[in-house]
Amino acid sequence: MSSHATTHTGHDAHHDDHHHNPGFIQKYVFSTDHKMIGLQYGITAMCFLAFGFYLMMVMRWSIAYPHQPLPEWMSWIFTDGWKARWLQDGKVTGETYNMFGAMHGTIMVFLGIVPLGFGAFGNYVTPLQIGAPDMAFPKLNMASYWVYLLGGLIMCGSFFLESGAAKSGWTNYSPLAGFADGQVVNQWLAGQTQWLIGLVCLITSSLLGSVNFITTIINLRARGMTWMRMPFFVWSMLVTAFLLLLAFPPLEAAGIMQLMDRVVHSSFFMPSGLFTKSEGLADLSGGGSPLLFQHLFWFLGHPEVYVLLLPAFACVSEIIPANTRKPLWGYKSMVYSVLVLGFLSFIVWAHHMYMTGMGAAVSTFFQTTTVLISVPSVVIITSMLISLWGGSIRFTPPMLWACAFIPMFGIGGLTGLPLAFNLADLHLHDTYYVIGHFHYVVAPGILFGFFAGVLHWYPKITGRFMSPTLNHLHFWPSLICMNLIFFPMLLQGMAGFHRRWYNGGDAYLSKAADSVNVFGNTVATHIDMNIIMSMGAWTLALAQIPFIINLFISWKTGKKVESDNPWNATTLEWATPTPPGHGNFTFDPAVYRGPYEYSRPDHEEDFIPQWEEPKKPNTKH
Amino acid sequence: MADTPEAIRKSLRLYGLIGLVLFAGTIATVLVATVPALDVGGHGFDAADCVLGLLIATTKATLVAAIFMHLNHEKKAIYWIFGAGGVFVAALYLLTALAKKDPIFDPLFYGQESKTEPFLASPTLR
Amino acid sequence: MEIPYIVTPRKDTGLFNSKIAIWLFLASEVMLFGGFFSAYVFLRLGADYPWPERTLPVLPGLINTFILIGSSVTVVFAWASLKMRQWRKFQFFMGITIACAAIFMVLKGLEYNVKFHHQAVRLNDYTVIEGHLGYEMEDGKEVLNHHGQKIEENQIQVETSGLTFNIVRFHKPWVEELLSQAEHRKSKIVLAADVSAITDEGKPAETLAKAGEPLSVELLSRLQESHLDARSHNGAVRTAELRKEWVEAKKNNPGKRGWEVSSGVNIDADTIAPHVLTEIGTVAFKVDPPAMFDFKPRDIQEGATQSRLRDDTLVDGKMLASPMGLHYVDAIDFRHLAMKAVEKGQDPMVAVENSWLIKNHPFAKDAWEWNKGQVAKIEKELLERHGVDEKTGKAKYEPTAKERYRIGWKEFVAMADEVDRDREEIAIKEEFMGPDYHGREAKHTFPHLELPREQIRFASKFTPAWNTYYAIYFTITGLHGLHVIGGALVLCYYLFFGRKMYDTNPEWLANRVEIGGLFWHFVDLVWIFAFPIFYLM
Repeated sequence: MSSHATTHTGHDAHHDDHHHNPGFIQKYVFSTDHKMIGLQYGITAMCFLAFGFYLMMVMRWSIAYPHQPLPEWMSWIFTDGWKARWLQDGKVTGETYNMFGAMHGTIMVFLGIVPLGFGAFGNYVTPLQIGAPDMAFPKLNMASYWVYLLGGLIMCGSFFLESGAAKSGWTNYSPLAGFADGQVVNQWLAGQTQWLIGLVCLITSSLLGSVNFITTIINLRARGMTWMRMPFFVWSMLVTAFLLLLAFPPLEAAGIMQLMDRVVHSSFFMPSGLFTKSEGLADLSGGGSPLLFQHLFWFLGHPEVYVLLLPAFACVSEIIPANTRKPLWGYKSMVYSVLVLGFLSFIVWAHHMYMTGMGAAVSTFFQTTTVLISVPSVVIITSMLISLWGGSIRFTPPMLWACAFIPMFGIGGLTGLPLAFNLADLHLHDTYYVIGHFHYVVAPGILFGFFAGVLHWYPKITGRFMSPTLNHLHFWPSLICMNLIFFPMLLQGMAGFHRRWYNGGDAYLSKAADSVNVFGNTVATHIDMNIIMSMGAWTLALAQIPFIINLFISWKTGKKVESDNPWNATTLEWATPTPPGHGNFTFDPAVYRGPYEYSRPDHEEDFIPQWEEPKKPNTKH
Repeated sequence: MADTPEAIRKSLRLYGLIGLVLFAGTIATVLVATVPALDVGGHGFDAADCVLGLLIATTKATLVAAIFMHLNHEKKAIYWIFGAGGVFVAALYLLTALAKKDPIFDPLFYGQESKTEPFLASPTLR
Repeated sequence: MEIPYIVTPRKDTGLFNSKIAIWLFLASEVMLFGGFFSAYVFLRLGADYPWPERTLPVLPGLINTFILIGSSVTVVFAWASLKMRQWRKFQFFMGITIACAAIFMVLKGLEYNVKFHHQAVRLNDYTVIEGHLGYEMEDGKEVLNHHGQKIEENQIQVETSGLTFNIVRFHKPWVEELLSQAEHRKSKIVLAADVSAITDEGKPAETLAKAGEPLSVELLSRLQESHLDARSHNGAVRTAELRKEWVEAKKNNPGKRGWEVSSGVNIDADTIAPHVLTEIGTVAFKVDPPAMFDFKPRDIQEGATQSRLRDDTLVDGKMLASPMGLHYVDAIDFRHLAMKAVEKGQDPMVAVENSWLIKNHPFAKDAWEWNKGQVAKIEKELLERHGVDEKTGKAKYEPTAKERYRIGWKEFVAMADEVDRDREEIAIKEEFMGPDYHGREAKHTFPHLELPREQIRFASKFTPAWNTYYAIYFTITGLHGLHVIGGALVLCYYLFFGRKMYDTNPEWLANRVEIGGLFWHFVDLVWIFAFPIFYLM
């Protein structure tokens, strides 16, 4: 019923070009195969992540050593012309810092993590795990990748415009974002405008992708793959797809309106009486509302962070059972939790807006839902933790990262709780505490989950293991550096250090050098933390080199796998040949049991794959 | 299920009828908005007329969705999907409107009742 | 490898793939248009100006609604014909559907076009005047610019004697525009002085361009290249110098942090002087003899003796009167002015009578007096029909703000035809395209008006720039129009290229047409809400 035509002969057939041998271009460039598309997403996303990382390294220089010119080892990559325009005597200017900051956020979130998690892992693994021959709409899948690439290139290309790239934060609030780069006569050549166009491309790409995912998961599951036999990975991807589908369009609306504000001079988000130093009273009708942009942005913005998170949950939840030889603890609760999480994520958004003059009723509502939403996340992470209890843990390379994910994400999540309450948020909003919180979740949290995923599925993709030695060289420095960078941020934030300041807070020195916080720390000590944090950031860059080497070298020289299921895992992707061919399965897959049948006492082997036919007849299908 | 040719032939009459109902509904909407005799409550187009007009529009939309788009006999999965969209868009509206209507109490900004309300909200000037 | 359930539905879900997909897509479209409509609510509730309710002509919108509903019906018939394997009937109904889409877009195009050519102005005292701009005339004929277009009587005119261009930011099309205007006025734009620059370290300055050289984009580009080269070079020199200074400073202040010494670390101008190249910056030109140049108001920040264009070009010369010439005024709206008066606690009627327009233009005074008479008649009618409110002693219902303070084009028509408002005779064509200015010229229905530039606070055509109402109107209806076009293209594809699929796999074609039809119905759904919201509320 899955990979062959059903009742009507031939009428179901999707006559593909695969009958002839596809050429290089069709096989590797314009492929409609979900695995190739997944790899394309993965490689592209990793390139963007590296680029975003570099931007951050320059920012960290400016924070640690304000007023000092960029050193040669960091600035060699820029042309003299670019440096003359953007660096003042070699120093990072405020304008440049803002540009790098806005683009760092945008690139990491929209061009890096989402495509890596959803586009790469989701595309590659989901059809395999549900026993489908491909995604429901392969051509649409291909289109979604290319539109993503186009959007990414547009956004990054804007660095080379005279106006530079967007510079109003990744959140792009109006009226600043409506005005920034306003002096450019042809607005279509302004970085801010290009950012909006790139964003529309990215939203389109996500939309096409999410339609594909949901249709595939609903309709292309293999025989016997009931909803509660789906691996948790697939549930996570399903919820992620729904978040993308329903949460992105209001941002698209906001993006279009902001684009119109810039290009046709409407005043959707421009209040009356706007006055700027360069232009005086704005030549606009006014009457608009900056708050409207914030509502529409954060309506996406909050589900977006769950879009970042759930694919990491997905990866980790597959790796833990395989490496503890125990079923995932609390699978059912995790499934219900992820569904509730998805639903609640739509009604918490205004906790990013506590400082906008909200009254008691609204802020109470959002505080309540925000605190509520921590419950399902805690259920999921706790289930993962409990899954380790009593397990026969093997610290394979992926397991190392998966185990690190749990406490790191835990810190990230817990540090979010004070931000949920508008009383505490009054003090912490727009400080480094927020930066520390969300980076803990994304960097040592989500990204560790993805590293785990890469290591876990690499043997399926290439037939070889990645080197454990190189992995250790990657893992331990990364773990240490991540904490070195982001933990002090929490302290700095509590002391009141502001976000998005390019001079690391040395402006405070002239005003409040002796002021002391509750812990007895002065501004001066907090400033010195900047240097340690920046050193950590640059060391973190070095620590990624073993990973890049590992990625390439292991393909040719890694230890070969001895079977199609080298981890002895139970889920369907391990039933395919290595690497899976076009159509994925060489047999008609059927599922006979749940996804994590490990260490059953009545069974000799310590795992029973989902697709293995039962020795005695099974009652359920 | 309008799947077999006979069932579809029967539905054709229904589609035509619904089409006429939609035309009538459109005319009704315009009349409610323009003809003074049909004014809810008296002179001026006020909130009550808006509500009536939008109710007619919602009825029309429901007919299109239910009958032209076959939602009246569609599968559960589709109800969930489309319903989810409806629920979340309602959340967007209601919470955004609530945020607008519930600002911080600060006499400097919001303390006095707006004198310009009549010009902005309803057309009936007192 | 075949993807299953493309045509036949899966047993347990009962659905085929594209049906799930289209409903998912429609759910996302609900969120998209929902986002826009919630923006509409937000903007309307939060507007700080009188929301222009019910100013759009209803007839075009109404006809479009009928057309779209009709096309919804025909698309269902088209799908049904396909299911019943009646190819000709399918073609017939699908053809009508697509034709309806085309008519819809044409009508929408007409609506938009009328608005884009209609001018609105808000004066300093918040009076709003609407009308049509005149065109620059010379010897009874309209002047054409170098693109061959007519020039609207809404230009800032500067008696220009000099132009100074910012060498990095000058906008090429504007340079070309200036050159063509100069040619038209029989004037030349030439370099005011020699441009010399040090282009190589250690070498003396060379002359890049001589005084008197005519302005051209090529000249400016050449100078720009030299400037940018110098800028790069100087950047590297200064950076190297600053790095040296920092090394020194750290050596001289061991143990001190960077931020403790940073204020004292500076580049020594003398040290770098021999290495620095000339960055040209700006280039000055003479306009010989001085000529009157036109600039669009949006592009120029006008000053009495020097103005600045948005590309940082400085325009030397006296700004001339530059009035806005409204060839036909077809509406005067005092609502915003009245609102501002009420905010300040003043009597709006007095404020109106003290407005610049009423005080300086008899036609406006006449129109206002006529309107007062009409409002009095309405008040009387309302009093007779509904009586008095016992508690306050005032009439139960009063005329709307629009009736009191806005004199629209239909009122001008009523005035000129000497009938009461709502009794005027309007042609059907006028409901679509606006008033017949020419035809009504004989009765002087719509007056001329020369508006002095200094009275103007904000001006725009009826575009998204005019106010948030038009912004959201154009955005939602425009996006909806794009959806109409997109849907029509898909349906066209099935109509013209569907035969092959019909012959091999008719059920598959029927499925795809059903999906296309579902999208089409959704487009209709959005319009069902958009029409009352924008045209009737």
